[in-house]
Amino acid sequence: MSPVDHAPSLKTQASSPKTHAPASLKLVSSDLQQALLALRNKDGGWGYYAGKSSRLEPTCWALLALARQAGATLDIGALRGWPRQDDCLVDTPGTPINYAFNALAALTLLQNPDGAVLATPIAGRIVVAKGVRLEQATALRQDNSLQAWPWIDQTFSWVEPTAYCLLLLKKMRQNAPGTSTPSLKPPAASLPAGADERIRVGERMLLDRACQTGGWNYGGSNVYGQELWAYVPTTALALLAMQDRRDDPVVAKSLQYLQKDAATEKSAPALAVSLICLRVFGIPASSFEQELIPRLDLSRALGSTVALAMSLYALADTRHGMAAFTL
Amino acid sequence: MEWPRLLSDCDEPGDAGSHLTRRGFLAAVGAAVVAGACRREPPPFDTSSFAVPARSAVGLFAATSYGIDLADVIFRGFKELGVNVAGRRVFLKPNMVEYEPGTSINTHPHVVAGTAIACKRAGAAGVVVGEGPGHRRDIEYLLATTGLYDQLKDLDVRFVDLNHDDVRVVPLKSWFTGLREIALPVELLRSDFVISLPKLKTHHWAGMTCSMKNLFGVVPGAVYGWPKNILHMHGIARSILDLTATVRPQLTVVDAVTAMEGDGPIMGKPRPLGFLAMGADLPAVDATCARVIGLDPLKLAYLEPASHYLGNIDERRIDQRGESLARYTTQFDLVPSLQYLRK
Repeated sequence: MSPVDHAPSLKTQASSPKTHAPASLKLVSSDLQQALLALRNKDGGWGYYAGKSSRLEPTCWALLALARQAGATLDIGALRGWPRQDDCLVDTPGTPINYAFNALAALTLLQNPDGAVLATPIAGRIVVAKGVRLEQATALRQDNSLQAWPWIDQTFSWVEPTAYCLLLLKKMRQNAPGTSTPSLKPPAASLPAGADERIRVGERMLLDRACQTGGWNYGGSNVYGQELWAYVPTTALALLAMQDRRDDPVVAKSLQYLQKDAATEKSAPALAVSLICLRVFGIPASSFEQELIPRLDLSRALGSTVALAMSLYALADTRHGMAAFTL
Repeated sequence: MEWPRLLSDCDEPGDAGSHLTRRGFLAAVGAAVVAGACRREPPPFDTSSFAVPARSAVGLFAATSYGIDLADVIFRGFKELGVNVAGRRVFLKPNMVEYEPGTSINTHPHVVAGTAIACKRAGAAGVVVGEGPGHRRDIEYLLATTGLYDQLKDLDVRFVDLNHDDVRVVPLKSWFTGLREIALPVELLRSDFVISLPKLKTHHWAGMTCSMKNLFGVVPGAVYGWPKNILHMHGIARSILDLTATVRPQLTVVDAVTAMEGDGPIMGKPRPLGFLAMGADLPAVDATCARVIGLDPLKLAYLEPASHYLGNIDERRIDQRGESLARYTTQFDLVPSLQYLRK
């Protein structure tokens, strides 16, 4: 046995995802749909795993995935009744406001004509939220003065919350009243004052934190001179937020990284969010579909709502055209 | 009068950092302890809830490779140390951070599996494994690539994703961070015997990561984000203390079969040591592991304060079991900023 972190042993490989015959995407989608419906809680939401309490992130992904098409078919009832505090949705009572998942909730709400009015106050709070500003640290190659978005108040700015919040504000700006080319059919939500400046800062922060290989991890690219590894899921999310900046060299390099490495991170969540991203960028990605399907065995075994819902959303793109994540 | 609100102890991003070095933190804590004693200020913990034992046993058990029967080594360790898990709902908390072939970042899956088998053999009512990686959200990726999922499936042991479990807000049992409560995963709170299963590594912010720092992984990412930045903002050393005081693991089994030196906890180099360290007193085990790798336990910012309420770090109060300390004592490579930690 290797003394170090190892590639799965022979025994492990034997019990790795089974080799599937090329699966009918329709059948897989139908199966995922049934699985998600079975995971739904009585209160209309979804927990992260089977039998767990309803939480914001899995509920949003499940709602997006189960919508029959973009627009009115997205059922926002669960979010309409969600507990609120300071204009935001509270993931779990007694815990801090989570900006990443509130941005995801607002993106979800925007997919229903009646949701815009609920998304607007969330966006207003997100515009004023910012990560703490820190002194420069010699051990780190990054600009600590950039105050993009934290996960929760009184913490630093990180990639995933910045990606979600940035995408939300860009989407609202694009569809704000008076904009010449609205892409959403539902009525537009109001763009909060100050959103343009927050978008500029968010973009600068993402460009600053990109890894040398292209791509992003949680939000630190170099510590003590060591280049850190990018991750596939956070790269896909950050690229979605930067889809309107695809000529930027950092974005272009990160897209190359994703195309090259997406299939090496063999998990359903990583492959699903990569599929969503590549499709939004208009890049053929059907080979990833067959990579994704066998990985769903583990997601099903764990009862992972987010993995199943992300996968259904990624595979059922003809229904919704990735509208929630497309600028 | 309260103990002084201590400044930050390192310069992790988001670690409000950089105001005070680890040495500064240590001096400040030491001064606070002395000043507190002199002025009869209440310490930042409920003294009636903690009692440092007169003596603590720490076992170093030879484990030359991950291919040997680790369950047997650990079961013998239970007997040697008088560990009793019979009838208990045991929660195993390994360290999983990243995956990269050829590195030694994570607690080896065979150590996790070996501990689970030993617990079952010793009569545990149930065994659950849980972790909430601080960098990667994608637990499916980590479970598959490390091979841990297959190990646990074979043993019929359930894995809990602590980042995304239901949570309950509970009071902290010490308040070095200034925080009074924290959300923790319900699966952890339901257990009645927690075993910390760290990988022994140098850590470029904390100095060393072992049984106590490993508890960062119980803090739910879906509540506090990735990395668990709230802990950095309130000071890594202080967070280690408050989490250890609150979770209070009953045992630790340290994977030092192959440890990590240099720029840990991720970019360092594998360093074979060939043993498992075990003990019920976590500060005592961490202090022993620090001595093994050539660090002065008193210079690790979280260990000296821990000795006032969580456990022993003075080697005169530690009973060595199994192999001798001298058999494994060595000098680990350290990043330049940690050279002051050497004995």
